[in-house]
Amino acid sequence: MNQKLKLSDIRQGDSLPSVVKHITQREINQYAEASGDFNPIHVDEAFAAQTPLGGTIAHGMLILAYMSEMMTEAFGNNWLEGGKLSVRFKAPARPQDTITTSGKIDSIENKEGVTYVNCSLESCNQKGETVISGGAVVKLSQHCGGKKT
Amino acid sequence: MSFEQLAVGQEFPPTTYELSESVISKYVEAVGGQQDLLTSGIVPPLAIGAYAMNALSQSFSVPSGSIHASQEFEFLKLVPIGTTITCGGKIAQKVERGRLNLLVLEINALNQDKEKVLSGKATIVIPR
Repeated sequence: MNQKLKLSDIRQGDSLPSVVKHITQREINQYAEASGDFNPIHVDEAFAAQTPLGGTIAHGMLILAYMSEMMTEAFGNNWLEGGKLSVRFKAPARPQDTITTSGKIDSIENKEGVTYVNCSLESCNQKGETVISGGAVVKLSQHCGGKKT
Repeated sequence: MSFEQLAVGQEFPPTTYELSESVISKYVEAVGGQQDLLTSGIVPPLAIGAYAMNALSQSFSVPSGSIHASQEFEFLKLVPIGTTITCGGKIAQKVERGRLNLLVLEINALNQDKEKVLSGKATIVIPR
């Protein structure tokens, strides 16, 4: 699994390659099918309309998948085998929202010969409202030889 | 099972999923990305997270108005497509705070060799 960042390229303050996704009810329904999470707040438009949310919302885990996609793009196998993610769900993502997931390298630490990359992450909707925010730590146990794009 | 009936330390019954190519293809299509992982024969880690969370949700239900407030995951091992995982979890913490109850759940997923491939923690806010 190649990644876009090379170890020699990683610097504190660098941005991660952002991921932009447009969400529709179709995608939410597809995610419900794939994950088995059929909570009516996600898939039953009539039910959701009667709740304080006023309509269906995307699964938080769907938006989290976009964060993981970004981290996989950036760090490849180092993310898949040694990544840590910690987030807070701040606001719902709704059908027709465009979600931009971005990240930044906050610091790079070396502990006993192992490099750890600490990142801050955020997913925002088209209004600039934060949907998810949090952080990630990537343990660079595998030297990055991926192709830079 | 209501909030009051849940006890700290209580474990949820394990649930097994076979992560076949068709299952992961469906997931990859749903999240609209990670095609590279499918091509490489690797399960996207958040797919395992999703199944682990789903396993817990089958064990108990939360009332309408509950919010998935926060989530932590640690990805411990590459999971090839075709792996059978067993997901489980337990109640780590219960907190009563004003008009809200907080439930902290620990989750994990093991491969067929009993190696832990994912661990995590979810916080659910439940209205009282």
